[in-house]
Amino acid sequence: MIEIDDVTVQFGGVLGLNALTANLAEPVTGLVGPNGAGKTTLINVLSGFVQPTKGRVRVDGRDLKDIPIRKRAAFGLRRTFQNEQIVENLTAGDNVAAVLDNVPTDGQPRRLLIDKALDFVGLLARRDTPGRDLNAYQRRMLEIARATAGLPRLIMMDEPGAGLAQHESEHLRDVIKAIHGYCGAQVLLVDHDVDLISATCTATLVLDFGSPIAYGPTPNVLADPKVRAAYLGVLEEDAT
Amino acid sequence: MPISTARLPLRAIAVCAGALLALYFLPAALSDYWLRALISVTALTVASLSVSLLFAQLGMVSLAQYGLLGVGGWFALRISHGLGVPFELALLTGGIAAALVGLVIGLPALRMRGLYLAIVTLMMAGAIQVLISAFGFPDGGSGILGKSTGTRMMMARPLLAQNDEAYLRYAIVIAGLCYLLVLAHVRGRPGRAWAMIRRSEVCALAGGVDITAYKVRAFALSGFLAGIAGGLLAGGVGQLDASAFPASQSIMLFALTIVGGAYSWLGPIVAGLLLRAFPALLNDFRIDGNIATMIFGLGLLHALITAPRGVAGQLADLVRTVRRLVGGKRKAES
Repeated sequence: MIEIDDVTVQFGGVLGLNALTANLAEPVTGLVGPNGAGKTTLINVLSGFVQPTKGRVRVDGRDLKDIPIRKRAAFGLRRTFQNEQIVENLTAGDNVAAVLDNVPTDGQPRRLLIDKALDFVGLLARRDTPGRDLNAYQRRMLEIARATAGLPRLIMMDEPGAGLAQHESEHLRDVIKAIHGYCGAQVLLVDHDVDLISATCTATLVLDFGSPIAYGPTPNVLADPKVRAAYLGVLEEDAT
Repeated sequence: MPISTARLPLRAIAVCAGALLALYFLPAALSDYWLRALISVTALTVASLSVSLLFAQLGMVSLAQYGLLGVGGWFALRISHGLGVPFELALLTGGIAAALVGLVIGLPALRMRGLYLAIVTLMMAGAIQVLISAFGFPDGGSGILGKSTGTRMMMARPLLAQNDEAYLRYAIVIAGLCYLLVLAHVRGRPGRAWAMIRRSEVCALAGGVDITAYKVRAFALSGFLAGIAGGLLAGGVGQLDASAFPASQSIMLFALTIVGGAYSWLGPIVAGLLLRAFPALLNDFRIDGNIATMIFGLGLLHALITAPRGVAGQLADLVRTVRRLVGGKRKAES
């Protein structure tokens, strides 16, 4: 459960988020909007890289202001990046281990947790492969494995589908859908691929210029004329 | 390949046995001059290890490491002369003192990187140089500084290793322990955290790594190694010369660590050999040892342009090439 209460983020004269208020409770929530709408800014606020100028954010009832940035992973806030951040000189297994070092593990053996996380994204056979030898798709999957290891509450994904081939994005879709059942974490998904959003997200929040313009069940939101004008305008032109 | 892993223990045992034999017989075959040179080489290998730890694990350049050798040596001498403790304890004290100073030097690293960090650490090395040349090294006198006005006392060597031959063996074992200490860190939790920090601080933060703590830890460990190196040097010579720890030596140490290869376990050994054995070799041939500095410059240029992994990387490539050639021949024969 993410409660965003009147959050404003100001970068100099630019508003990244403009008095945004939203309660996101669905297990998989999409976050869409044109470039510069504030999607990544919202993720950065949640993971602590950006301090809100005003307002507050709560996750599962805890005010994020009370959780310093380096403790947020242990609290259960995890993310993947638009530009993947795999450690190239660690093996896939060690990439997961590096995160497990800093998060609660529920007393389970680490080896088991690493194997489980890699198996979940289909990389178990690559456990001992160095990060530098993984391809773009495997790197994204490894980032997801890192995010699911060790009791996550909220997994935020910043454009995980960018640049993937057809069969790869189909696998990604299945993995995203399975995350909540697998580890109980809520998923917040930013992507430009409307197909991916509508296939995986039960609810979607649309941002434009840092403000919400629609929120609700994904099919309704994507059919909203306001959303189509702001974000899917091109498609509407095609339709006419 | 499953076969090669099954063979590995046997090979490892063979390597260990070979190393032990070499450790026993090699020092016995050397002249006094070369014994002393190799004692310095061993100490400087540990010093270079401390530089390569910071550079390879975190990409950080510390130009204060040679100064930290001086700090380690100072405390080792002071405790040894003042309290008459066993050599091991003096060595450990030197290491810990240098670790603490290294930790202070590392504080700017929490905010800076690259050239700025290099400059700040170089200034710290300069400060250490000034302090050492002003106060000198303890040599058995009284008072806090332990300076005597009469005869200079020699540092007591370990009980096990009173002569040069035994001390060289002793130093090599200590260097081996230092390697194991680094290995335990790199293979374990700190190594993974350092790798995340090196990838990017954003990546480390998202993975919950306490960046400050792990950077400080790297500097402390690196300082500890430098201090041990200083103590080994003090024990080898018996005393230390106040003019032997200029800031410029820190730059030399860093440069030669790059030439040797900071990313390989072999690199620091190459750097140690270059720093002390190479000038000794030139002297052996009646060539001025100072020419070494010019050759080091060329070596650095060569490393930066063509061999980013240093001499150690080139050696590894050479071994691989030879193995491929031999393997190819074998395949052709069968």
